[in-house]
Amino acid sequence: SPMVTGTSVLGLKFSGGVMLAADTVGSFGSLARFRGISRLLKVNDSTVLGASGDLADFQHLRQLLEQMVIDEELLGDGHSYSPRALHSWLTRVLYNRRSKINPLWNTVLIAGVYGGESFLGYVDMLGVAYEAPSLATGFGAYLAQPLLRAELDRDRDRLPTREEARELLERCLKVLYYRDARSFNRYEVATVTEKGVELEGPLTLEANWDIAHVV
Amino acid sequence: SAAPALPSPQTTIMAVEFDGGVVIGADSRTTTGAYIANRVTDKLTPVHDRIFCCRSGSAADTQAVADAVAYQLAFHSVELEEPPRVRTAARLFQQSCYRYREELSAGIIVAGWDPRRGGQVYVVPMGGLLLRQPFAVGGSGSSYIYGFLDATFQPGMSRSQCQEFVAR
Repeated sequence: SPMVTGTSVLGLKFSGGVMLAADTVGSFGSLARFRGISRLLKVNDSTVLGASGDLADFQHLRQLLEQMVIDEELLGDGHSYSPRALHSWLTRVLYNRRSKINPLWNTVLIAGVYGGESFLGYVDMLGVAYEAPSLATGFGAYLAQPLLRAELDRDRDRLPTREEARELLERCLKVLYYRDARSFNRYEVATVTEKGVELEGPLTLEANWDIAHVV
Repeated sequence: SAAPALPSPQTTIMAVEFDGGVVIGADSRTTTGAYIANRVTDKLTPVHDRIFCCRSGSAADTQAVADAVAYQLAFHSVELEEPPRVRTAARLFQQSCYRYREELSAGIIVAGWDPRRGGQVYVVPMGGLLLRQPFAVGGSGSSYIYGFLDATFQPGMSRSQCQEFVAR
């Protein structure tokens, strides 16, 4: 059962890469206990991972992944794990834990650019896995996903630009901050392009309480 | 009628880092249900010369884990031939607390000083997460003081300021 948890992670493909966003709080039930936790992890130069759910399990996953990446670098053959390979590996790990009735209580988004193609995948603690151009975990699935999909559907011939994607994710994070009781207004953004991974944060959301005057 | 409850500390524990070390504090009550089984409990347990842990949660669980970690640290520091790092102690706590997370009820703050990184405070809450923080509080009593702490704490306090902060 989860103890210290992280809330939604959002993911969006844009033209040129993929972006993930998550706030930086670890909640202990309804208490916002740890307010400076990073839930986005750079796995290698082509992949980032964002996790929601139990953060102790996320730390365990992080150790596994870091060890995997080190082992791979030691091989020195020029290959690195592709985002799709990591997604597949993670699905198997999570599914097997679930089958032993001892799940890693996380929902994970994997984002990356490999071989010129961008990838955005989802795996949850039951081992359910899929890919889509926009993804969200936790509360984000209810509040942010419709906003993300509306934007993508607006012009089906093209993906949003990097700036549009960034703005959209921030808007979604703001909505989540307003409506998700376990969220926080400090967040991080990870962007993956052909050039590599950029992690920005922690940044602060400006919340707008003007509507209070209308009430 | 209710069966007698297991002895459990109803605790407030805290630790603060300053330049040169850490200040740790705890209350001293252990309850078995409503009866105070021990009013002079020492919840600050040394696991090594300069590394302490503040225990909250089940008294039995935290004592057992602390004893195991103290043993491992003693062995480790003999092998290393130097004082162990606070981070090592915290990691050892985290390994036990994470592996046995379903069975244990233990919230621990590890605080100490080592020559490499000076004073450090690490939190290992229930569930087995490991985090370093400039100050930490724990235990069931800690909920009441979060507001006070957020308002009062400033990074970079001196030793006596920290002592005063903890005492309040």
